[in-house]
Amino acid sequence: MSEAVQFMSQMVSVEYPSPQPTLVNRRFAEQLEAGRIIGHKCPQCGLVYVPPRGMCPVCVVSTTDDHEVEVADRGTVTTFSVITPIQYPGQEEQDDYVLATILLDGADMTVGQQRLDGIPIDDVHSGMRVEAAWAPESERKAAGGPGPAGGLGGAIQGWRPTGEPDTPLDQYEHHIL
Amino acid sequence: MTATWKLEFPYRRSVGPVIGAFLAGLRDRTVLGAPTESGRVLVPPLEYDPDTGDAVGDLREVGQAGVVEGFTWIPQPHSNAPLDRPFAYALVRLDGADTAMLHALDAGSPDAVRPGVRVRIRWRAETTGHITDIECFEPENA
Repeated sequence: MSEAVQFMSQMVSVEYPSPQPTLVNRRFAEQLEAGRIIGHKCPQCGLVYVPPRGMCPVCVVSTTDDHEVEVADRGTVTTFSVITPIQYPGQEEQDDYVLATILLDGADMTVGQQRLDGIPIDDVHSGMRVEAAWAPESERKAAGGPGPAGGLGGAIQGWRPTGEPDTPLDQYEHHIL
Repeated sequence: MTATWKLEFPYRRSVGPVIGAFLAGLRDRTVLGAPTESGRVLVPPLEYDPDTGDAVGDLREVGQAGVVEGFTWIPQPHSNAPLDRPFAYALVRLDGADTAMLHALDAGSPDAVRPGVRVRIRWRAETTGHITDIECFEPENA
C-alpha cells in the first residue's frame, strides 16, 4: 500500500447576493462621503440610532429623514479587543491591532469593529476619548448597506485619541455594546 | 443593484493514521475498512470501535460495489455539489462492510433509487488521496 495521506485540503465556500441597500442605508453612505455621520432620533423615546435603521425597534415606530440628526465624529471607547492576526493565506495584517466599540457623542448606539490607531496597545482603555481619522474625500467609498464595506468602513480609516480626559463610566455604562 | 459575496475558508486538515491510510487506498482505487474485535468492518474506517472504544485492527480491502441503505434526492444541485445534475446523496454499504458511507449517487432519476438497489463506485480519472477520488456511485445495472 502506498504512503498514508497526512493532510486533506478542504475549501469551505459560500456565495450569496448581498442585500440591496435601503434608501436609509444610501442616505447614510452619501452623508459619510460628505464627512458627516448621521442617525435617526426616535420621535417617541428619543434614542438616537447610528447608523439609522429607519425604525426604532424599542417603540416599534418608523423613522425617516425627518428624524435625521448629525452626531459627532468623536466619542468614547466603551470596549475593545486586541486582535493577534493568525497568518493564513490572504491575511493582510502582520501585527497586533485594536478593534474598539465607540459611543459617538450624540448617539445612543455604539459603532463596533472600529480600528484604533496612534496609541500603544497597552495604553488603550475603556472611557478614552477618540476622534475619526477620515479617509481623503476622494477615497471615501460608498458604505451603504450591511456587509464588509458597510457601517463606517469605507469613509473612516480609523480612530485616534483626542487627549481629552476620559469619560466617566456612569456616562456610558448603559451604552457598552 | 446587488453584489455577490464569496466567503471562503481554505482548511488544511490533519487526517490521522486511519483516515490517512483510507485516503491513500482511494488514491490506489481501493476501499479499505477497519475490522473491530467483534468482527464488524467499518467503512469508512474509524480509529476506534464506537461500541467498545478499542482500537481497530489492520485495515483490509472491501468491495467496490454495494447496496443503498437510504438516500435523499437532490433535484436542484447547488454550485458546490459533487454533481452538476440531479442526483442522490446515498448511504452505501459496500460488499464486505457492515457500515454505510455517504456519497453522491448518479442515478438519473429518483425512480431509479430505493433501499437495496445495487451500486458501484465510479472512480475519478485522476486520484489524489481525497474522498472525491470516488467521483460518485452509479447503479450497477446502468
